[in-house]
Amino acid sequence: MKINVLARPAALAALGAFAVAACGGGSGTNGPSARSSTPRPVAVTTGNPSRPVTLEEAGSTLLLPYLQKMVDPLKADYPNITLAPSGGGSGKGISDAIAGTVQLGGSDAYLSDAQAQQNPDLLNVPIAISAQAIDYNLPGIDNLRLSGSVLADIYMGKVTKWNDPAIARLNPDLHDLPAQTIVPVRRVDSSGDTFIFTSLLSATSSAWRNGPGFGTTVTWPAVPGELTASGNPGMVQVCKQTPGCVAYIGVSVENTALQEGLGEVLLQNRAGNFVKPTQQTITAAVNARAATIPGDLRASLIDAPGAQSYPIVNYEYLMVKSRQSDPQVALALRTFLTWAIDPSRGASSANLGAVDFVALPSTVVPRVKAAIARISG
Amino acid sequence: MARPEEHTTRSRDRVGTPWAGEGAGPRAPRPAAYPGRVRARLTGRSAVEHGLRALCLAAALAPLLMLLVVTATLLVSALPAIRFSGLDFFTGRVFSFGNLYGGTPTVHHGVAAPHNASYGAAPLIVGTLLTSVIALVVAVPIAVGGALVLVERIPRRLQGGLSIFLELLAGIPSVVFGLWALLVLGPLLAQHVYPTLARLGVLVPFLRGPVGNGQGLLTASLMLAVMIVPIVAATTRDLLRTVPVLHKEAALALGMTRFEAVRVVTLPFVRNGIAAAAILGWARALGETMAVLMVSGNALNIFPYNLYAPTTTIAATIAAMLDSALTDATGMGVSALAEAGLALLTITLLTNWIGRQIARRTAGVPLPVGRGF
Repeated sequence: MKINVLARPAALAALGAFAVAACGGGSGTNGPSARSSTPRPVAVTTGNPSRPVTLEEAGSTLLLPYLQKMVDPLKADYPNITLAPSGGGSGKGISDAIAGTVQLGGSDAYLSDAQAQQNPDLLNVPIAISAQAIDYNLPGIDNLRLSGSVLADIYMGKVTKWNDPAIARLNPDLHDLPAQTIVPVRRVDSSGDTFIFTSLLSATSSAWRNGPGFGTTVTWPAVPGELTASGNPGMVQVCKQTPGCVAYIGVSVENTALQEGLGEVLLQNRAGNFVKPTQQTITAAVNARAATIPGDLRASLIDAPGAQSYPIVNYEYLMVKSRQSDPQVALALRTFLTWAIDPSRGASSANLGAVDFVALPSTVVPRVKAAIARISG
Repeated sequence: MARPEEHTTRSRDRVGTPWAGEGAGPRAPRPAAYPGRVRARLTGRSAVEHGLRALCLAAALAPLLMLLVVTATLLVSALPAIRFSGLDFFTGRVFSFGNLYGGTPTVHHGVAAPHNASYGAAPLIVGTLLTSVIALVVAVPIAVGGALVLVERIPRRLQGGLSIFLELLAGIPSVVFGLWALLVLGPLLAQHVYPTLARLGVLVPFLRGPVGNGQGLLTASLMLAVMIVPIVAATTRDLLRTVPVLHKEAALALGMTRFEAVRVVTLPFVRNGIAAAAILGWARALGETMAVLMVSGNALNIFPYNLYAPTTTIAATIAAMLDSALTDATGMGVSALAEAGLALLTITLLTNWIGRQIARRTAGVPLPVGRGF
């Protein structure tokens, strides 16, 4: 068994780690690869379990391709740990993790207050950052600008034409906005993408906040001509077929969307600037919120402050029970999670780049490791 | 073939002949303390008989038990939602899990649900009934007509080949129909057919108004119709083959045309069975989930304002919202979906029962299909 940093008992480590998290402030400044030299090191006992352990995962389909990339390299580093990811949706990930039918529940959304109170031993472990692009199908029109409140008006049927004054005001440089009907496309399945999209609408529009609100499914207002689609690839497919559409699409399929000829919206952030989802703007949003991340890591990255911050960003979570009945499974979980956020291992730029995720910024990593250290068995 | 052989072996065994017969080789012949028939009743055969009897009883009770268990389970999980919503479940127009991430809980009739939660299923119930009934109205004439042509008009040697297509159509997974309707049928209808239909709206109010983009009530219904045509047609075809040839020939001999023969002899003979086949198709349309989810437009809180408007059904809603319901810490989301499931179960049983009553009323000649209950 390899022991990182200090060979302290896990419970003690967890206590110390919790203290670090509770103190708040930007204590850690180094990347995870340099964990042994962080000022206040978090001791995470990791290593190859003494017998084969299979870590079952269910949940978010956005997270699934990322986890699938990890299966083989994880096995190469730790022969006794088998990662078995499967989809099913964020809600299933959370409920399966609570029920204990899987060891890891993947979710785009963090636990609600009520769920967290009911399941105090369920940890929210962020392992990567994802974001969401707003796409549109208006051939010949590039660099369209939209804001969260205008999107809310579109999805409520208040703004129905692409040359509506509300859109024209945001786009003083675009003089040829067509008088075409806007076709809002939304997800029909329960989705973390719907969760973060409606979170932005709720954050920027009081009418939306007091109306449909936010969630993995919401009761959408009826908009004549609107369309529904299943899954992110379905969103691309439907929007591609429908001139005049607007759709919210997870960044992991954004490359496909752009190849299919969809345009990417410049989205107005809280500071009033118009930004696209790039490595830089996503990281800016995470860093802007890093200082206020709570000890339990349940945090929204929606509509973050900062001149460069992209407004629709989220943590990709793995839900894990802190109390495991089997010490070997606990060891395997700590090992996998530590490995998964290590930029030289699981969170390599190749793995992240394949699904357009962004690595956890160094400001957050020590807190995540503190959470991982709490897993004991 | 095997049974009589076994029987003879037994009877030889029974009379206690030294040669036990090929089938009973390893078995030692029992002493014949009783006359053969009595012994058989008291020992070996009765055990088998009892076993078989128990097995048959279990098999006969299984469907009933399963229905009871499913209903009871649904009822138990639906109870909180039933208490929360009361009659609002049937009249309410908003089906929403509410704010799962904050706000003060909404309390109704002593049951707490998330902030702003509302489980009004009226649009779902209406959507379920509308899509399935429209599908049935479209599908039954096509299916019966097709089956008639197949049996009455097409040469026997071609019938087999054409029948295979009917069976293949019935075997296509529903999600494939959904995909086809989403990508091909819906856009096609919205661009080329619905605008023409909408012009007829001058006469028929339900045809008026915006035609949408091909996701909605009519697209879902037409897709369901395509799905249930093979079910109804295959059953009708088998029924038509049971119509006695002598009756048909008698009709023709009386100088009737083929159409008259079909109308006067064939159809009355199978009317009862066709009604039963239609009920089968209806049940399929009521319960169809994924395909409807893909093309219905998933409108949870509006009644369709015209034939092209987005709608949704109970089954599609359960599939779409279960994942979200699982994140509801109060458990009310799952409970509300269970109540919706109970409603669907009730609707299916009711339509089945009503259909059977109609079938019984209109029954001319008793037939093995479509009777019972």
